[in-house]
Amino acid sequence: MFIEDVFAGAVRYGSSVIFATQGEVISERAGVINLGVEGSMLCGALAAFATASATGNAVLGIIAGTAAGALLASLHAFLVLWRGANQLASGLAISFLGLGLTAALGVNFVSKQITGLGAIEIPVLSDIPIIGKGLFAQDALTYLALVLPFILVFVLSRTKWGLILRATGERPEVVRAYGYDPRRVRAVAVTIGGALAGLGGSQLVLAYTLNWVENVTLGRGFVAVALVIFGAWKPVQAALGGLVFGAALSLQLQLQARGVDVSIWLLQMTPYVLTLLVLTVTSRRQSQQIPEGLKAVFGGSPS
Amino acid sequence: MTATTPAAPSAAPLVQLAKKHAGWFGPLVCVVVILSVIPFLGISVPDVLIRSCPLLLTALAVAIPARTGLVNVGGEGQFVLGACGAAVFATAVSESTPSPVAIVVIAIGGIVFGGLWAGLSALLKVVAGVNETISTLLLNYVATLIVAYAVTGPLKDPEAANFPIGSPLPDRARLPMIGDVHIGVIVALLLTFAVAWLLNSTRWGFKARAAGGNPIAALRGGLPVAALIVGALLLGGALAGLAGALEVMGPDGRLRQGLGVGFGFLGFLASWLAMHRPGWIVAAVVLIASISVGGDSLQIDLGLPATSVYVVTATVLLVVLGWRGTRSGEHH
Repeated sequence: MFIEDVFAGAVRYGSSVIFATQGEVISERAGVINLGVEGSMLCGALAAFATASATGNAVLGIIAGTAAGALLASLHAFLVLWRGANQLASGLAISFLGLGLTAALGVNFVSKQITGLGAIEIPVLSDIPIIGKGLFAQDALTYLALVLPFILVFVLSRTKWGLILRATGERPEVVRAYGYDPRRVRAVAVTIGGALAGLGGSQLVLAYTLNWVENVTLGRGFVAVALVIFGAWKPVQAALGGLVFGAALSLQLQLQARGVDVSIWLLQMTPYVLTLLVLTVTSRRQSQQIPEGLKAVFGGSPS
Repeated sequence: MTATTPAAPSAAPLVQLAKKHAGWFGPLVCVVVILSVIPFLGISVPDVLIRSCPLLLTALAVAIPARTGLVNVGGEGQFVLGACGAAVFATAVSESTPSPVAIVVIAIGGIVFGGLWAGLSALLKVVAGVNETISTLLLNYVATLIVAYAVTGPLKDPEAANFPIGSPLPDRARLPMIGDVHIGVIVALLLTFAVAWLLNSTRWGFKARAAGGNPIAALRGGLPVAALIVGALLLGGALAGLAGALEVMGPDGRLRQGLGVGFGFLGFLASWLAMHRPGWIVAAVVLIASISVGGDSLQIDLGLPATSVYVVTATVLLVVLGWRGTRSGEHH
């Protein structure tokens, strides 16, 4: 069934982007933009793929991928928070570094094969028409991607840690008055954000592509940054953005598989064009919701 | 001003120039040092100069918007779309077109396409409030796919069986050579001086800097901030697009998939290294071009992909950002 397949694909292909959006939400709510998510995703993807290919164990791959993403993001945290580097430039340079590093180190893995994460079908539920396959016949990481936004909403709104994180993004001086170091809170947030991006990269190679190619993420990290704006820095809305990206990708692949006579190059544009479109429609409205600490870097222009 | 080209290293005019244009002295010394050292590393100077041409223009494409406080990461897309525009306009060149006319027409193709592509980001920002960093980044992927579509479809060379390449340009549309380098290198250098003049010595440059320094105050002071944003991005995109056109008319001779991959990003790194000052951009570009050209042969020897050059260049920028950040932070 066409719609069922498109929806299942939307969830599966959107999952890596959802992880990256959640990581970016954490980072930006604490007041730091990280354009290095693309690099974290790439490093996570290569570390996960290399580990899974060397050990034959996908779980070890996930751990390595998450760690690699966190490591790269911690470099961004150090440069921005302790060395006063420009956030946008540092993030982009980190992404280029990740792109170059993974291209060079990944050469030997290009033709390697791995056993990825298999789909875990939940009986009965996966037979529900239209949405069953999408929500209940996925790999383990995709299930995590589907619940993570709700966990994050709870953490941000109901826990002390979430309160400190949000306060750091809005009023760091208040956080300092309460005896916490805003810089450390931000560093932790950026690193966790990178870990989640690395997890997203892991899902991408372990459950979707199942092979390694240079620049395998094709801008998914940058798309995630855009979707966080679209989602007004709210976890569930940002995750929905990830699903929209996944849906565009899925629709494109389904149309291609069904031999629809449109250039594949034009079809491949749809996820990016759609991301730009949702951003165009929502940017003005969302600019009211931008975390106070981000305004200086991101919302500086009045137009 | 043209005498500041590294081709004229004689001592007497150098001293005079140092007095007149003190800001150019440091970069000039760097360029001379780099260009005299690299032959000993087995890196060809003409190759570095030829590589500097597109990088200089894509770096300026970052520097002009940066003066108005904009982050243009779309050099990659503006470059390839400029190359695409050049290929489109090249179809208008006939047997009877004089060579200079053909070259100018094709260059205009690059300027128009590159400019409009950046203009799209400007429009999205001014009309819908879309952050230009994000839109220019995402449009890179769209531009690359447009070129992939063009070279497999409408602009495909009918003679080239299954290769995704455009038709070769006629000889009359290829850039003339001066010694071992093509004329585009001179054009890029002259445009650098022009941009330096525009940013530092004109009313527009002053307004742009005011808008970039404090947009709210600029708006209150009656500056046309939206127009400045659109203008700066259009101009930047036009330069990156011209770089694409020059690459098509110069070393490559045709549009192809993967043309100039990374030139936009390397230009971005160069402009940030130079803190968007045209003089230092020349030095940063020559350095990055040397790394890039030197990396080419290393990559072939070691079997590394071309993107590996980002490791070195991005690391250099990260070190500089971290080192400079605290220093400028202390002034606050």
